[in-house]
Amino acid sequence: MQGIIDLHHDIFFFLILILVFVSRILVRALWHFHYQKNPIPQRIVHGTTIEILRTIFPSIIPMFIAIPSFALLYSMDEVVVDPAITIKAIGHQWYRTYEYSDYNSSDEQSLTFDSYTIPEDDLELGQSRLLEVDNRVVVPAKTHLRILVTSADVPHSWAVPSLGVKCDAVPGRLNQISISVQREGVYYGEGSLTYGFQAWREAKGLDFTYDQISGQQ
Amino acid sequence: MAGPHQVARAAHKGPSVVKEIVYGITLGISAGLLWKMHHWNHQRRTKEFYDLLERGEISVVVEDE
Repeated sequence: MQGIIDLHHDIFFFLILILVFVSRILVRALWHFHYQKNPIPQRIVHGTTIEILRTIFPSIIPMFIAIPSFALLYSMDEVVVDPAITIKAIGHQWYRTYEYSDYNSSDEQSLTFDSYTIPEDDLELGQSRLLEVDNRVVVPAKTHLRILVTSADVPHSWAVPSLGVKCDAVPGRLNQISISVQREGVYYGEGSLTYGFQAWREAKGLDFTYDQISGQQ
Repeated sequence: MAGPHQVARAAHKGPSVVKEIVYGITLGISAGLLWKMHHWNHQRRTKEFYDLLERGEISVVVEDE
């Protein structure tokens, strides 16, 4: 997540540079060529040098943006060699199922539980509306985690914005994401794809399924 | 039709394209550097926070009473 924030800040530097430069040129052009100050318009139809410069410089800026962007993209795609735990997140209409299968022997069933959004009427004081769930996903902090995301029915999406992750839950497919939680706490996630009329009704908007991760040592 | 004094003024007092571009780029880079200073400050504070957390001087866990 820190990498994503840093990339955004790097790109924003170029945004500010371009905004200030273009705004200044625009204002100065309006100032210099105001009809009262400059009643005779200039008849300029070509400017080869400036046309070359205004083509080359804007094409260099994306190159500077691409370098940290690709570095982050490929580092995010790296396979985590030794995660502390692997969790399977299965999307349903309209709840999640989580499976912890790492530490059971072959004849044991995985630790599996469903996670439903707490209805508004059942919320306690201080709880967040449409974000709290009855069973949170508990994961260790300061270690690498592997999350396998899939769906049992329609496509869903599994996202935790504060951890900088979002992954589509596609039926028949297992998508993998890596997470590293740097401090203990409760992290709220959201679903961000809606399929079906029921989802729209329950969601009252775009988000329809919610889950939480609480990082604990 | 513009008078002779206006024509002379237009012919002698046009903006310098190079100067305007240089001023614009300088201003843009200055504004960008202000943003970068904010970004470095944010990075430093984040690093300080996690360093303090690592050393145990602060905690994000509420103690049970």
